[in-house]
Amino acid sequence: MSHDKQTSDARQFAEESASLTRITAAPLAWAAHFALCYGAAAVWCVKWPGPIGQMLPLRVGLGVATVVALAIIGWLGWRSWQQWDLLDDYDYEHEMGVGEDRHEFLGHAAFLLSIVSFVGVFFTSLPLIFAATCR
Amino acid sequence: MTDRDQGTYPPTEKMLAQPVPDDVAKGQEERLRKVWAQPPGWRYWSAVNNTEVGVWYCLTATFFMLLAGILALLMRVQLAVPENDFLDADRYNQFFTMHGSAMMFLFAVPIFEAISILILPSLLGARDMPFPRLSAYGFWCFVIGGIFVMGSILFDAAPNAGWFMYPPLSTEHGGIGTDIWLLGLSFIEVASIAAAVELIVGVLKCRPPGMRVNIMPLYAWYVLVVGGMIVFAFPPLIAGDFLLEMQRSFDWPFFDPERGGDPMLWQHLFWIFGHPEVYIIFLPSIAVTAMIIPTAARRPIVGYSWIVLSAVGTGFLSFGLWVHHMFATGLPSISLGFFSAASEAVVLPTGIQIFAFVATLMVGRVRMIHPMLWIAGALAIFVAGGLTGVMVAIVPFDWQVHDTYFIVAHLHYTVFGGMLFPVIGGIYYFYPVIAKKQLSERLGRWAFWLAFTGFNVTFLPMHLTGMRGMPRRVFTYPGDLGWNWLNMISTIGAFVMATGLLIFVYDLLRPKGKQPDPPRNPWDAGTLEWTHNVPAESWGIRSIPYVNTRYPLWQQPKMQQRIDAGRYYLPDAQEGKRETLVTSVIDAHPLHVQRVTGPAWITIWAAVFTGGAFIFPTFHWYPPAIVSAVLAVACVIYWNWTSTAEIPEAETKDAGLGLRLPLYVSGPDAVGWWAVWITMLADATAFSSLVFSVFFYWTASTQFPPQGAGFANPVLMAIGTGLVVASWALTAWARRDAGRGAMAALAVAMLAACAGGGVLILALWLPDMDPTAHVYPAMMWALVVWVIVHLIAGVVLQGYCLAGLAFGKITRRYDAPLWNSLLFWHFLCLTVLVTGAMVAIAPRLMT
Repeated sequence: MSHDKQTSDARQFAEESASLTRITAAPLAWAAHFALCYGAAAVWCVKWPGPIGQMLPLRVGLGVATVVALAIIGWLGWRSWQQWDLLDDYDYEHEMGVGEDRHEFLGHAAFLLSIVSFVGVFFTSLPLIFAATCR
Repeated sequence: MTDRDQGTYPPTEKMLAQPVPDDVAKGQEERLRKVWAQPPGWRYWSAVNNTEVGVWYCLTATFFMLLAGILALLMRVQLAVPENDFLDADRYNQFFTMHGSAMMFLFAVPIFEAISILILPSLLGARDMPFPRLSAYGFWCFVIGGIFVMGSILFDAAPNAGWFMYPPLSTEHGGIGTDIWLLGLSFIEVASIAAAVELIVGVLKCRPPGMRVNIMPLYAWYVLVVGGMIVFAFPPLIAGDFLLEMQRSFDWPFFDPERGGDPMLWQHLFWIFGHPEVYIIFLPSIAVTAMIIPTAARRPIVGYSWIVLSAVGTGFLSFGLWVHHMFATGLPSISLGFFSAASEAVVLPTGIQIFAFVATLMVGRVRMIHPMLWIAGALAIFVAGGLTGVMVAIVPFDWQVHDTYFIVAHLHYTVFGGMLFPVIGGIYYFYPVIAKKQLSERLGRWAFWLAFTGFNVTFLPMHLTGMRGMPRRVFTYPGDLGWNWLNMISTIGAFVMATGLLIFVYDLLRPKGKQPDPPRNPWDAGTLEWTHNVPAESWGIRSIPYVNTRYPLWQQPKMQQRIDAGRYYLPDAQEGKRETLVTSVIDAHPLHVQRVTGPAWITIWAAVFTGGAFIFPTFHWYPPAIVSAVLAVACVIYWNWTSTAEIPEAETKDAGLGLRLPLYVSGPDAVGWWAVWITMLADATAFSSLVFSVFFYWTASTQFPPQGAGFANPVLMAIGTGLVVASWALTAWARRDAGRGAMAALAVAMLAACAGGGVLILALWLPDMDPTAHVYPAMMWALVVWVIVHLIAGVVLQGYCLAGLAFGKITRRYDAPLWNSLLFWHFLCLTVLVTGAMVAIAPRLMT
């Protein structure tokens, strides 16, 4: 039924899809960065380590990836901060069943998740600084 | 408003204030009571209501917990003194294997699903879960699988290679213990995924009108996150089980290093499941805590958004921790570093929710209701377990205590504090909703203090035992290592704790017939489950309210009375059908009225035959296993054909408050479509694990593929893949047409799928790729076998739709099965394309 019409769900998704994506986007960026680090290190250390397990190119490459991931998460955090719009009404509870509260809540949650993801990516990058070889 | 439903939404205060005439209300109540009545006598066991199935589920899981607890006590007796011969080594191995396996697979995960099935509908003001028969099916699978796995211990045939089943121990070991573990628990994992699908759809689509995502109970948020985690965490283990069982049954050398296999792959697959699993059992208990704390503090939770952040953040981060169980396996130190970092990062979201709870208690006016005692104990224990977690996440420290009793202490502090104590607190809290009686506070205090004290006496000394070097999983130890008194203390503590838990179980089960009815809302809580009826009514909720606050009983004072009067939605069952309301995902806008299924035996039969399909292969009895599988499929087809997507007697119905809603929807509006979508995500995750395995072998060895190895026939692979893609395209066209042409298209599609499957097999068969010779051909065969099994399911679905079109069950207007089958085929099409690339192209590039 109504295959070609926009259903109510579809309309709501269109309205909120941006913020729904944003709520998981930052953790997904963390996951992608993490998987990249793990996978790249695993392949590098088996296939192309130097005689004593050097991995400078790997560290540089993943360092660049870290900067990119942090920039993406920072941008996501900025967008969700705008959606939360705290400075407009200082609402951090969003406890009413109205569209505005739902909208700001999704922004708030996404903002907090981008902070956690930012810290997560930062933590993940630390071994790149401290470990010089595969061993 | 959408273009299909008609009427006013949201309801105005004037509409809600209008009284319902008494005689009308009485008639409605009678009809509802009749429709939702439990089957009498022995037919009771055919019930599928969440209130019945949920209780059975909880009690069964508790029963398995007690059995696993007895195993633990017997182990403690054995370890009380050095050189003890109370248990021999093999029996001790069986006991610790079954203790861990049962606590995890037969208690911790199922009890979450059981409690959620039991209380989630009432938290959401829904009549029932969207697929009651699916819950019942999952429950019966759980019972059969659980008894099979647990029962093996009585025949001295239980698995004994540890709850993680590491090869080569598990592959080299004789006996059927490992097969029982692999097949029995895979069977239960399938049931767990079914329950997770049901719970996710329940949270997304069965909320009451108006309950937008920002006001839904925190419990629902946690269920959503945990359901999602199950969908992504269990499939890797199922894929691993598949590989390990193929090695055990058919000698495909996935974990045999002599033929290119690698035992480390199992460790990866197991812990990709195993670590999220820890959070899968922890988060639901935190969810219970998040319901109890506001009630005790008599104010809304502080930091709702922060807790949502914690749940979602923990859900994600928990997938980046698995290697911290493998710190001692010799991976590159940089890899260990990544996982150590993620293990420290997960502390942030985990800690945040605990701070939010403490903040709520600080600013509230706390009343020390009994469940809070368990919650307070849980927080104390969990914080201690969390802190040792921070310690063992650091690689050098972990190397010192790896596989010692320090880890035993750490993990029990996390699971008791993070799971068992909150669950017991939750049972005290929700008991009036579940049983319409109250548990004894006096017994509860005894139970708590004995369990709490006993727990700490048992496990606190184990930190020291471990630091002094006592390894895990040894059945005895010499008397001169300084471990004797520590072990004796732990054993005494274990019995004290068991006494406390027994008192709780006694209180839970003792007859309470003479006890007067408890107050309806004994804790003065604010959420919807406390609108329940005392004495019990089987209709779930009298009418489905319009909710626009987080704590409706506190913030919408007239709600209780209006629910009872039948003022809200679906106050009646004129057509004599069980119904619940389906709403939109984000804003809970009413979308349609869902007819839900009633009592049935077919779910039990389906579970019995599914059990046969998993259990017979344990004994290498393949013909009866195949017969069971066919019968299981037949049962599921019968159940779907007779009771799902039925063509309604009218287009729309009056849902109350002047709102007319459709009775039949299909595609993304329908709950069934969502269930298929989520199930297929799980399926795709399992398939991804197989693809991961290919790359794993490639990175772990220079011999994958080995030199001079043959390749799959590229032409045949292309033809086979092409035929399956054609079958998918025809199915897609059939969905659009949904008429006479669709029947022809589906018939051709079925032929194309069968032919495609055959050609894919030939593509490996003709080059003579022997799966027992080396892991490379075995892996290629595993991918193709995976596709073949899915093709069989895909053809069954096409046949179902063909029959539906032929017999008028499916029409252009009523086409839900076509949508759902096509969704399955979308995933199947992707699977076969990836398989084609992995089998025909990737190995050529890897050499």
